[in-house]
Amino acid sequence: MDNTKKMSDAKARRREIKLKNQPTNVQYPVNVESSPHFTGNGGSTQRCPGPHHGWVRGHQKDGGYSKGMPRYINAGSFARARASEVQAMVKAVRKKTASCHLFAALPKHMRRRAMSHNTKRLPRRLQEMAMKLKEKNLQGVKKKKEQSKQKSRKARRRHGNLLLEFNRRQRKNIWLETHIWHAKRFHMVKKWGYCIGDRPTYKCYRPCYRAMSSHCLLQDLSYYCCIELLGEEETLLSALAQLISKDTGPSFASAVCLSGRRQGNVTVYRAGQYPSQPLGPVTFLWRPRAQVSNRRQLWIWAHPTLKRDLVAELQKVCDCSEPVIPVVEPVAQPAKVPSSEDTKELPNLITVVQGISGTKRKRSCMDQSGPPAKKILGDGTRSPTTPVTWTSNSSATVINDLTMEIVRYRLIGPLSHTVLTETLEVATSCETLAKSASSLWWPEYCKDESKMNLHKEQSDIFHILKGVYSSGEIPPGTVLGLNVDDPRVALPRKKVKALPSVKQVQVVEEERVKQLMLNGVPERCCQSSLWDSSVRDNVTENKIPEQELNHMKHEVLVPGSRLRPTPHQGRVPVLLVHQPGKQVGHEMGTWGAGWDILLPKGWGMAFWVPLVYRGVREGGLHMSLKHSQNKCAPHFPHDYPDCPAGVRFQEEQEAELLDKFKRRPPAKRTNYIKLGCLAPFRCPWKQLAEEWEVISAEERMESRDTDTVIEGATSHQDVTSMPQRFTVLRNRKALRLLSGWCRPTTSKGQRACRLSQAPPLNQAAVSSFLSAHSMSLVWVRLSLLAKGKPELHGMVCVPTLEDFKLLKDPQCSGPLEPTHKDHFKSKLKRPKKKSKKVTETAHKVATPTTAKSSSTPGTVFGLWPDPLPSVASHCSRVVLGWITQGDFSLTAGCGEALGFVSVPGLLTTLLKQPIEHRGMLLLRNPTSLHYRFVKVNIEV
Amino acid sequence: MSEARSPGVPPVMPTDTLSPAVEMDPVEYTLRKRLPRKLPKRRNDVYVNMKTDFKAQLARCQKLLDGGGHREICVHGLGLAINRAINIALQLQASSQGALQLAANTSTVELVDDLEPDDPDETGEPMTRTRNNSAIHIKVFYPDPQ
Repeated sequence: MDNTKKMSDAKARRREIKLKNQPTNVQYPVNVESSPHFTGNGGSTQRCPGPHHGWVRGHQKDGGYSKGMPRYINAGSFARARASEVQAMVKAVRKKTASCHLFAALPKHMRRRAMSHNTKRLPRRLQEMAMKLKEKNLQGVKKKKEQSKQKSRKARRRHGNLLLEFNRRQRKNIWLETHIWHAKRFHMVKKWGYCIGDRPTYKCYRPCYRAMSSHCLLQDLSYYCCIELLGEEETLLSALAQLISKDTGPSFASAVCLSGRRQGNVTVYRAGQYPSQPLGPVTFLWRPRAQVSNRRQLWIWAHPTLKRDLVAELQKVCDCSEPVIPVVEPVAQPAKVPSSEDTKELPNLITVVQGISGTKRKRSCMDQSGPPAKKILGDGTRSPTTPVTWTSNSSATVINDLTMEIVRYRLIGPLSHTVLTETLEVATSCETLAKSASSLWWPEYCKDESKMNLHKEQSDIFHILKGVYSSGEIPPGTVLGLNVDDPRVALPRKKVKALPSVKQVQVVEEERVKQLMLNGVPERCCQSSLWDSSVRDNVTENKIPEQELNHMKHEVLVPGSRLRPTPHQGRVPVLLVHQPGKQVGHEMGTWGAGWDILLPKGWGMAFWVPLVYRGVREGGLHMSLKHSQNKCAPHFPHDYPDCPAGVRFQEEQEAELLDKFKRRPPAKRTNYIKLGCLAPFRCPWKQLAEEWEVISAEERMESRDTDTVIEGATSHQDVTSMPQRFTVLRNRKALRLLSGWCRPTTSKGQRACRLSQAPPLNQAAVSSFLSAHSMSLVWVRLSLLAKGKPELHGMVCVPTLEDFKLLKDPQCSGPLEPTHKDHFKSKLKRPKKKSKKVTETAHKVATPTTAKSSSTPGTVFGLWPDPLPSVASHCSRVVLGWITQGDFSLTAGCGEALGFVSVPGLLTTLLKQPIEHRGMLLLRNPTSLHYRFVKVNIEV
Repeated sequence: MSEARSPGVPPVMPTDTLSPAVEMDPVEYTLRKRLPRKLPKRRNDVYVNMKTDFKAQLARCQKLLDGGGHREICVHGLGLAINRAINIALQLQASSQGALQLAANTSTVELVDDLEPDDPDETGEPMTRTRNNSAIHIKVFYPDPQ
């Protein structure tokens, strides 16, 4: 701090160079001579009220920087004030943050390569320090390794450890048996407590469609839950009758299903609540009657989102509330004590005895500390004490929860039976072992003469299947029980596409094929050992591991030849269930027909890979949605807005779409208010149903007033007694009536209309119809007349009379909606400013975004805030409903949408429409102002 | 059109052939028609339907004969589509200036209908019945040079 009294030119120049990089806001006064003294006020110029002294940092309000220097300086106080600063500086310089400082301390010409590696290369005075640093670094690495506990890759990939890891990962979401196969090839989603493949990672939308329409598509449906009911036939039927209504179609008691020859579908409602409170669709399968007892067995297959409600309802109607606590079975391996957490948590799984004895011993001596991992089969997330069986006090009814006990694969496509006949081989009998008793089920089975006869009949029918050209030719819902060989034994070396045998079948065979097509499978051939839980468990336990099988294949003399004889463990009972294809409508009948194959658990991969080797495509959740869309069938959680699962699904979907929408910057978002779209992410069905009920009631009032004034009172009553819930119309008779009324004006449709002799559409018929279904929605299929691709939540609207004139012009595709004005834009901005001011003046509450959401809940730029105004009459065309699925349909060759419209809305519209344009509506996508003409179809 | 997709195009089944002789109450049963039996199909088989545009089907046949390298093709028509099949064959012949020859065969195809009972007490068995429909198979070919 020695002040220079006099500055030479050279010094000034040097100073200039020094201060070349000086930041502009810290200036060093040049006129040093004029003010030789400094004040010693601690350097804090802000606190000094007078003229500024010393170093000045930052811009000063009163015009530029102070140029004057203090007159005098008190050396003592000045030094004291600077002492702390100097100390801090020195400390900062001394402190070594990393080893590089050590080397940086050396001048450049003394640095050598790899000095950090070999400390001897350093000058001696630095060697000691470098050694210390090195040791410290080494310790750090070791510590890090200990912290992460990451085992080596080899250790992690060791079978037992890998299984442990897999078991840990499927604690929350259950893995299907084909999970690892799928995880390598599919985008996986965690849904409904399962890990399910959504769609393959490779591009295959069209190949999958082609597979469904001309070859075969394979899906793993094991996540569907199976609930087993055991009991007297009458008791079961009377209990189940409470859950369904015969108006919606055939019930549990329909003769052909009850015999066990066909699989049936029903929509389940809460007990006695029809038509409100539906639960969802289920499929069911009766076990064919045994000769002696009246005890029947029934499997109900339901979607996992519906299972809990369904089980509760079943318990209620069957009076089965007595849970049976499952006995925790000891683990099958006697030598090892299950000590780890995994085995304690997951005891209701079945141990797969791993490997042949040689490798087992090797492993046991390698890692004696840890118990061997068990592969989870079945439901691993369930705690062992959760009851899966409920019995009844009053009757002998038992409910079993068979979730994940049975593997279910679905093959879709006309050649799926060909794939099955190529993959599966009918079980070969084993007479040699028949004398001695065996723990395996198949030798025992072989001893029974009647069972073997049955097996022979079943295998005959299975052979006949080869002569069938398309899966759609079989009677819908046919069931066939079968015992097959382990398909891994006959695995082809290369993937081959299964093709139907072109060769002409014999006349006798032809007759039998015809019989099968006409009458289906006889009742006794629908029996299968898969129904017996003991056989299922036996088969699962005695499955030959992959490794052992490969070893056996390895020892075959001619490499690649078939393993003969098939090992005795390799016999599996399966059930084949035919799935009907498209059953409604005139076009593309039986599209998407196929077979389901039911297997005992544990055998999933053993059947999956051989099926894949027959050239099938594999689909995920996305494809099952497209399958039902092309089949014109509602898909479960998506198209059931009145079921609890459907409501939950809609909420999730809304949250997901809204989240995606909010991630965009506001300026880049679609402004749905301007597009006149009130709810782009959800469908306010209830509001729609209520609004249309009022509108239709008013219109009926008007018309009645003109006709007769007498019935005014009754219509008033209708309005006042308004039910609270909206329902989806599932009554077959009502649907058929509606379908006739909105029949498109094609020649085919007219003919069908004439056949069914529906009452003509007029005021009286409509009002009598609406008195029963005033709060209903109806599921419709909309097909676009010209171009256009319908999207999710598009609006179905009523065309005005002027719009029909546009139809004559082939160039014009439809009317336009005028752009709406966004009144919320200005409102949305103002509170934002306010909130900013608030944060500045007072305490910092929150960031503007949270402040916005807290002050005005639910206002998102571009979205209509709650509560919504009238949904029906918001746009220039009156809204009837929304679509829930929409896409370009590859089956129809045009855009097709599936959605719901309000029944009163539809009927009032149809009444007003001219006959030649009846059933013509408009469809508008949420992101578009363009209306397109669509034709409505209701298919029963 | 590739071979794989063609079986998906069904020949049209006319609805008029429901004979009044069969005793059937329309309320009690729902009628569902199954597709006609498919037959193994060569590349030069053309199944004519009523849904696809006539010109497109004609062009497809023409293409098979001209560029497809086939000396003969078979045009099949069932029921209502018989007319159209004949029409296509004749058009092909006319446009070839007499180079093509025709050989027509007729046959009867058995069709299957499902009758599902709609009765409330659900004791009825679902019925299937067979009915017959006419079909035509026209061979369109270039005669041998001899």
